[in-house]
Amino acid sequence: MNDYFISANDFDAFVSKMASERNVIGPMAKKTKFVYGKIQTNKDLRLDFDVTILPPKKVFTPTCQTLVTFDGSKFEGAVDKQPVILFGVHFYDIKGLDMTDQLFSENNRDENYMAKRNAATVIGSNIQTVSKRAFWGSIGTKVAPKGHDGFITKIGAGYHYQTLNQKGEALVGYGNFKPATNEQAEEARKINVAMMSKCPETLKHSSEDIAKKLRDSFKNQELWANLSEDCFSCGSCNTTCPTCYCFDVQDKWKLNQVSGMRNRYWDSCLTEDFAKVSLGAGAEENFRETRGERFRHRFMRKAAYLNEKLGGPACVGCGRCSAACTADIADPVNVIKKIMEV
Amino acid sequence: MALTIDYSKVAPEGNIFLPRECKITHVKQVTKTERHFTLRHADNSKVKFNPGQILEVSLFGFGEIPLGYASSPTRENTFDIVVRTVGRVSTALNKLNEGDSLFVRGPLGSGFPLQELQNQNILVVAGGIGLCPTRSMIQYITDRRNEFKNFTLFYGARDPSQQMFHEDIAKWKAAKDVDYHEIVDKTDGKWTGNVGVITELFKKTTITPDTRVIICGPPIMFRFVIAECDKIGISRDNIYLDLERRMKCGVGKCGHCQINDSYVCVDGPVFRYSDIQNLEEAL
Repeated sequence: MNDYFISANDFDAFVSKMASERNVIGPMAKKTKFVYGKIQTNKDLRLDFDVTILPPKKVFTPTCQTLVTFDGSKFEGAVDKQPVILFGVHFYDIKGLDMTDQLFSENNRDENYMAKRNAATVIGSNIQTVSKRAFWGSIGTKVAPKGHDGFITKIGAGYHYQTLNQKGEALVGYGNFKPATNEQAEEARKINVAMMSKCPETLKHSSEDIAKKLRDSFKNQELWANLSEDCFSCGSCNTTCPTCYCFDVQDKWKLNQVSGMRNRYWDSCLTEDFAKVSLGAGAEENFRETRGERFRHRFMRKAAYLNEKLGGPACVGCGRCSAACTADIADPVNVIKKIMEV
Repeated sequence: MALTIDYSKVAPEGNIFLPRECKITHVKQVTKTERHFTLRHADNSKVKFNPGQILEVSLFGFGEIPLGYASSPTRENTFDIVVRTVGRVSTALNKLNEGDSLFVRGPLGSGFPLQELQNQNILVVAGGIGLCPTRSMIQYITDRRNEFKNFTLFYGARDPSQQMFHEDIAKWKAAKDVDYHEIVDKTDGKWTGNVGVITELFKKTTITPDTRVIICGPPIMFRFVIAECDKIGISRDNIYLDLERRMKCGVGKCGHCQINDSYVCVDGPVFRYSDIQNLEEAL
């Protein structure tokens, strides 16, 4: 672990050099919002972003990912090991990636995710602009961000860069980095600590209390029906969530109708068909038929079911679901507040 | 106890989505919508699984569906599946013939707890297509009959035309050591047997409170059969449910089959009733 400093001018040259030699994905402007995309020069990289529309999970589990390719009855896996540098990830999204890392690697290890993840370098960056629905300052505070390889913080005269391992260290060669002074390291630390109290939204309860109350509220059908009354079952809360990774698997033919791909696509537990099975002769069974059941399932997954496994809630407080929800009913801060009041 | 898939052999690069090829050695249309396939591994390797385990069956270009093994691992050269024509994948599968290939991933999930069932009285309650996955256990019992005490089998079908495994039924009826009872919801006029719901069969024989009960059928059936078991005084620890869910991956990732904290594809599909009786989404 080493601390470096790079001036603002040198930083621009560093980003452009790195982007010209390596495959760099980072936050970029898209109209008035931000997205993770391919960085070509320093001008593309917008470390002043508030939050990206989609979380960086899309780099390792893309919206459409080929798992197997086939040609007649011949088939082969499509594990992608191409290295990528994911540059500019806020700490809450680092936590999200760490959670999906764990969930894809445990038990039946999923190489389609893990190979790409292990080939990647992930560099965090400090939050310069706070998004309007963020509450990362008050959720899962016992879960430290980990799994990244370096962290960059904008300080007065330039940037402080902390490397956490060899992968992070390897990027130093692309720029005019100098060892950071103790004052520069301290300035970076203070900036990141101070940011933690700047969220516009705050959870008032501990993760443990929330998980317990959630489980106790499981059978309160009226509560869940009320909370989900305006839900359109669109699944936007799922698609924008850094820790949602459910998927559908579908086969696609190429035009020749002989070869093709078995792909996985993001799926959403809020959609009506998610847990539905066909029984034949037009009959079907939906194991989470009502909006309330589906809405409850998502909150249980975010704040109760996975807590033991992950050491805290499967929510990082990014506020993307709150902003993406058409009916504005998904905001975890509001939902949890109502549940805790029952 | 469960035999899990050894991905190092099946999928050298650790890709849990790589299937293995199987050849159809026999196929039979058993009802208007169901076909019974007997398969062998294309590389002729032995078939190893636990009764009650599942597999993902696929045809490239169409997709994958989860099914239960419909034969016992005591028959180690081949295994059976039954496919009901429902959607895109099952419709394509049911057009296949002897000698054709299909693709499978498995065994997946946990099966019936054989050690707990050995030397016990067993009751299997199978409704409709629920006879297919439970046949892996039924056949296991009849193949190793001396390892079990009394064996009772209840089979309910919607109507006589929906009955499957006619050869098996003839054998079960003839066997002195199988207490077989069947019923249909609706008669076709020619049927001379029992008519009604499957729980009527509890009146036809004596089930002792120490019996281990295996249940598989349409969701509504579970509750009524469990109520009968409760009346007899059977411990809920001794009731095993073989559940159906939507499953896209079969390896605990895709999220579709989740019941509260459990994944049916890895924690099930066989569950001890006492373990899931408080899970609201289970039944």
